[in-house]
Amino acid sequence: MNPSNPPQTAEYGGDEVSAIVLDPGYSTTRAGFAGEDAPKTLIPTYYGKYSADGQDKLIFGDDIFVTPRPGLSIHNPIGKDGIVEDWDMAEKVWEYSFTSRLTGAKPGNPFHNGLNDISADELPTDMELESEDKPLADSPLLMTEPAWNPAKAREKTIEIAMENWGTPAFYLARSGVLAAFASGKASGLVVDIGASNISITPVHDGMILKRGVQHSPLGGDYISAQIRALFKKNSPQPITITPHYLISSKTAVEAGQPPQAKYRTFAADKAPDASYRALLEERTLSEFKECVVQVWPGPNKLAATGPTGASNEEMARSSPGRPFEFPDGYNQVFGADRFRVVESLFDVKAAIPDADSPVPAPTQAQTIPELIKASLGGVDVDIRPHLLANVVVTGGSSLLYGFTDRLNHELMQLFPGPRVRISAPGNTAERRFGSWIGGSILASLGTFHQMWISKKEYDEHGANIVEKRCK
Amino acid sequence: MAAAADVRDMLDLPAEGQPRPTKKQKVVEKRPEGITRELYALLGERAPPIAINENKYKGRPKFMNKLRVRKWCMTPFANSARSDGLVLNHWQREHESIRPPAPEATQMELDETKEAGKEEAPKPQEQEYTFAKYNVKARLPQRYTDEEYNRHLKSDDWSREETDYLMDLAAEYDLRWVIIADRYDYQRHLDSEPDADAIVPAKQYRTMEQMKSRYYYIAATMLAIEHPPSEMSEAEFALHEQMLKFDPDRERDRKELAALQLNRTADEVREEAMLLEELKRITSNEQNFITERRELYSRLEVPISVGNTAMYQSSQGLSQLLQTLLQADKSKKRRSILGPEGAVPSPVSQTPTQTGALGRAETPTTNSAANNKKGSIASQTQPAVRTLTPAEEARYGVQHHERLSGGVQFRSDRAQKLTQAKSNVQTQKLAGALAELEIPVRLFMPTERVCRDFEKLIQSVNLLLDARKVSEKVESEIRVLEASKAERERRNVPENSSKDPEHPEVKTETEDGGNSMLESGAPTEGGEGETGQAGDSEAAADGAAEETPTKEDGGHKRSASVLSSVSDKSSKRQRR
Repeated sequence: MNPSNPPQTAEYGGDEVSAIVLDPGYSTTRAGFAGEDAPKTLIPTYYGKYSADGQDKLIFGDDIFVTPRPGLSIHNPIGKDGIVEDWDMAEKVWEYSFTSRLTGAKPGNPFHNGLNDISADELPTDMELESEDKPLADSPLLMTEPAWNPAKAREKTIEIAMENWGTPAFYLARSGVLAAFASGKASGLVVDIGASNISITPVHDGMILKRGVQHSPLGGDYISAQIRALFKKNSPQPITITPHYLISSKTAVEAGQPPQAKYRTFAADKAPDASYRALLEERTLSEFKECVVQVWPGPNKLAATGPTGASNEEMARSSPGRPFEFPDGYNQVFGADRFRVVESLFDVKAAIPDADSPVPAPTQAQTIPELIKASLGGVDVDIRPHLLANVVVTGGSSLLYGFTDRLNHELMQLFPGPRVRISAPGNTAERRFGSWIGGSILASLGTFHQMWISKKEYDEHGANIVEKRCK
Repeated sequence: MAAAADVRDMLDLPAEGQPRPTKKQKVVEKRPEGITRELYALLGERAPPIAINENKYKGRPKFMNKLRVRKWCMTPFANSARSDGLVLNHWQREHESIRPPAPEATQMELDETKEAGKEEAPKPQEQEYTFAKYNVKARLPQRYTDEEYNRHLKSDDWSREETDYLMDLAAEYDLRWVIIADRYDYQRHLDSEPDADAIVPAKQYRTMEQMKSRYYYIAATMLAIEHPPSEMSEAEFALHEQMLKFDPDRERDRKELAALQLNRTADEVREEAMLLEELKRITSNEQNFITERRELYSRLEVPISVGNTAMYQSSQGLSQLLQTLLQADKSKKRRSILGPEGAVPSPVSQTPTQTGALGRAETPTTNSAANNKKGSIASQTQPAVRTLTPAEEARYGVQHHERLSGGVQFRSDRAQKLTQAKSNVQTQKLAGALAELEIPVRLFMPTERVCRDFEKLIQSVNLLLDARKVSEKVESEIRVLEASKAERERRNVPENSSKDPEHPEVKTETEDGGNSMLESGAPTEGGEGETGQAGDSEAAADGAAEETPTKEDGGHKRSASVLSSVSDKSSKRQRR
């Protein structure tokens, strides 16, 4: 095998056309070139807005976390159900995701950079100028969408891509299908645990089965709300999260002792908006989820009794706790509580009640096992065993410790007959960017290039073509 | 090598062993790649537990460096699977043909070629796009015309519009029925008259079976229109038949069953697994049992020795016999005749204990059947373990003998002996009678009960045979007497003509006497007195005489069949 020889096309069926894959989510937006194994840009979908010198300014990307500017407020163009609400801002955020690192600045027109002397008659016409302004003029674009995206939103998306970004070819793929592709399956049941939503998508032969698509808002943000509720009830004293930007110095304290830190204060006119604080608190909570939170691995619910007769709660309490230190230096060991915050994803009775949480209390139908049951109920009975044998777990929140074990047990309990097999990549990046990776695979396949919606087709048929082509 | 050293020792040659071990060592411990020889020597004998060298990128082979660099260039291409002629770019090895022209071309020429290149950009190479060939569609039936639809395809259930919609979907999703059924969303009366809204038709929900049924019907019909069934090729005809035979109801039932199967509870699943396990165990047990029984049969099939046993009466003779047997055993290389305890029939004696140990899952009949053969041995080896109830004794085949004859004998042999009469003719007759009753001469399953019944049967057969012999004798006597009487009468015809009416009476008497030898003779007695009804009574007597033996025979047959059926049953049980 000689590295300077191209692989035979029959070997991998790939044909890269330097397409860009854009996978917008509620929490982060991923973008990169097709054919690569991970997205080159990963930015938060949140954007910051503040006014300086009398004009509104916007911040995109990771910059939003950095500086607590006066009056900085954080927004998200995407609604809680994963559908875009603010199209203007969504377009800007998405555009930032690929212009910032992928397409880069075009070399300026040599006629205009002031280095060349040109006679007046050689000045280019305006038309040519216009075509160069479009950021995606020479890259086909593959975008992802949730399976429940309404037709209006899809048409709006292709409109933006074609008219504002000037892409020569476009395709809109369902994120569930792509996640299945990323794990090498054309058919499967995709369980996507995202930030704002969890969704179950049955995929058959590379197409979603619309009647089986289920989603509910018990995603990462819901878990954060549960953690906040837990902190409120914490004994000996409730825990408040103070983000790093409010702390100028701290000293180490014993576990459970009140924090000793010097806080930074902002004058009322200099202080950033409350949404900025919420965003940064969310970062701490993410860290907490990564380090402490654990899903009770099963085989039964946390509230049930285990095989030995002792209650699972008891078992959870006896397992060693995990310490966590907050930005202000307060630290505590979390025992059985760390299982409790995610238990309501499977057992709604275990939800920690919190009256002033923005997230409404979940219902039984929103839990993962019920969603899967409902999803399988909506598809043909012949393919149900096949789907159960190809459960694909994806999404950043699915990285919760012990999640796949629990899901496996729940599924085995729900469906004792057929074989249940969960495929969840162990690699963190593959789990978080599942749908992006699938898009990367798809857009670099030679056989896929006949599927693109070209600019010409768009002009001919209008935005409605996306409904016909991207089924 | 050792031999060579020995030889050297013996011949006092200088030992030459030194270089050899080192050589061997070298072979064993291979120097891993990527370590210089000197460094490796420093490591000593014990190799480090971790690999020192890394897998290095090998790079291009040396000869490649001398080759000219072949360029890659961004090439536009068009996909012939597309209808809109979209041009995309990909990297490709630069071909000789599209090399830029030689450098000596003038600037103007270069510009021109560039222009030309731009124009040709959509079709830079005439060659087909590699992946275009994968653009395949499912083969769909020819679309019907209005006339064809009206003539052949009209249906009460399906409107023309909905049929069109279905066919469109089928084409769009390449007959993936799962997806078609999922996306099927036909808006009824979308553009029809408004009065349809007054009825407000409930949204019709089509199942996949309905869709399939309709589609297959259309496809089959269109196929038949295209080629009448008589002209179809074999494959086409098979397809046609298959499509016509689609039964939506059956398919629906099947799916319902599948759903039931899928939604079993954990207990049901466990039970099923258990049952399957049990079934496997039972079948394997049965297999074992059959092989064991076959082994047993092969033992029983040993021909009966007819040789003189006198030479084995003495202990010397016996030991000689043992020697010869051992010899034969060794030469056969089979399992030793002498078992661990010196008992002879090791596999046979093991079977009952094994089957007994298998526990209650075994059917009791097999136990008893297996134990029947071993009953006496079992009762001897375990004399007073527990007292058995009569039922259990019957079940396990335990029996008590008042007087036991010495030595071992097979029950089957005893049964066998019964079939051998004193004379050869008699034996053949016996065998004939048994064959008629369809009972094998060698009993299938010589259980105790079977042997007892067999004994009875043989006795009655013997009785029958004797009776037949007697009757034959008497008949022949009668014949002789009749013949002599006829002779006499012929001679006395003139004198005895007046006594004519008495003649039949005599005849019936003698006949009856002959026939009723076996019977009590009662039915014929009545006919004797009335000479007027002689013919009648004769016929009746004859009928009775004929009837009785057949009746008797029938009775025997029945008993025989009962017997055989019993033996059949027991053999069946055993088999089970």
